[in-house]
Amino acid sequence: MEKFMFIFQGNVTGVKPSPEEMQANMGKWMAWIGELQASGKYDSGEPLMLGGKLISGSNKMVTDGPYVEGKEIVGGYFIVNATDYNEAVELAKGYPDFDQGGSVQIRQIMKMDM
Amino acid sequence: MVATKAADINKLVDHLFRHESGKMVAVLTRLLGFDNLETAHDIVQDTLLKAMTAWSFGNVPENPAAWLYHVAKNKAIDFLRREKSFRKFGVQFVQQQDARIAADAHIQNLFLENEIQDSQLRMMFPCCHPLIPQESQIALALKTLCGMGVHEIAQAFITSDDTITKRIYRAKEKIRNEKIKLEVPASALLTQRLHTVLHTLYLLFNEGYNSSHTDNLIREDLCEDAMRLCHLLIQNPVTNLPVAKALLALMCFQSSRLQSRMDDNGNIITLKYQDRTTWNRHLIQKGFDYLDEAAEGNHFSTYHLEAGIASLHAAAPSFERTDWKGVYHLYEILYSLKPSPVIALNKAIASAYAVSMQTALDALHQIKGLEKHHLWYATLGEICLGLNKKEEARNYFQKALGLTVSKSEQQLLHDKISNCN
Repeated sequence: MEKFMFIFQGNVTGVKPSPEEMQANMGKWMAWIGELQASGKYDSGEPLMLGGKLISGSNKMVTDGPYVEGKEIVGGYFIVNATDYNEAVELAKGYPDFDQGGSVQIRQIMKMDM
Repeated sequence: MVATKAADINKLVDHLFRHESGKMVAVLTRLLGFDNLETAHDIVQDTLLKAMTAWSFGNVPENPAAWLYHVAKNKAIDFLRREKSFRKFGVQFVQQQDARIAADAHIQNLFLENEIQDSQLRMMFPCCHPLIPQESQIALALKTLCGMGVHEIAQAFITSDDTITKRIYRAKEKIRNEKIKLEVPASALLTQRLHTVLHTLYLLFNEGYNSSHTDNLIREDLCEDAMRLCHLLIQNPVTNLPVAKALLALMCFQSSRLQSRMDDNGNIITLKYQDRTTWNRHLIQKGFDYLDEAAEGNHFSTYHLEAGIASLHAAAPSFERTDWKGVYHLYEILYSLKPSPVIALNKAIASAYAVSMQTALDALHQIKGLEKHHLWYATLGEICLGLNKKEEARNYFQKALGLTVSKSEQQLLHDKISNCN
């Protein structure tokens, strides 16, 4: 079994959802996670707060940020168990925010084979 | 890593966000002043977004509502600090040396359960102020008191988002320009102002109950919200007046039949053909209880009459064995107090069973102002059918068919037309 990281990007739209819509969305997330857990695919995951710090350059300059476009903002990540990319892709299709302009980046976590 | 449990979903009651949103907006507006209604809405929006993000990944707190209040309260305090009005604000409320502690204590208190209710009550009066156009009152009430989004309100009233935005804007403008206060009016004004609040709740309920909206859930939500707000009035000793109880009694009787009014295919079932065993007995009992209590005092309102009529239907074992004479009598009194064409229509229907079909037909012909209303034609058709005038009945049903957009009513009329052969 391999481990994959799902990186959730850009479900931050300008439109303000109503309280009912927010609760409905949350329900979908919980249902998705619940499903992944029930099948033993879910390993872990955390949401990320907006904003952050960016350090770059040889002088290690610190700036507020990353200020990127809404569709690039990372909102959170999951670590899931899957046999290969095909399965990981299938699992990621359960992500509830495609309709809100969100996307999922899938990256395989490297194993150190000794 | 705390594992997410699927059971977390169950910790969140239906409409939690929407209901808590209404409560938080009321509390925050009371805290920040009506001028900052927008800020209150923004803080609530941010709070719910934060909850949505955090809870979506699991970890729903033990007491979700308390978590929301805690976050909203801190955001409000941050706002007041930024506004540099914190010191002034504290002094304003409590005469104490340390204004900050005073303000903190005051804010803490506002988030206590009975104060939340009090804030909501205070919020109802400016939202339902007689100076605000009726349709704007309802839109504003749904947005601020019930936590509904503009799009949801527009859907409920089958209109555009733009129209609702304008209605809400007009309401807020009035509140600002007329300096309408966020408070329950003093006793001298209370009765009159309470009447406007009740009228708005009555319209809100009817919108849910009578609307030809195809989505049952939207209709139920409107009814439920109107009842929730009416219940809030009953719980406060100042507004717990017989007239409010009469309205709540009416709502209980009506909503007891809400589930029985539509079949599995979304077609309307009229009173005559409803399965009375599916009526909600609990709500009917509540209706009778409130109606009993509403009889206290000497104030008598149209809500008493309408609740009385609804109670006769609720008590009837069948359509045929309804106390039609009683229903007809109450409609006569109601019509004398509120001579509207719709009440005249209902009075005529009652007369068909209390007196005779011919009486009803004559009465229907005399009603003016319903020439574009499908219900008038549908009723004429029904009465003609009762008098065995099939040809005329068919014509009336055809006219009614051309005047309703509701799918379920169209289906009902098609069925009627086929009965005319």
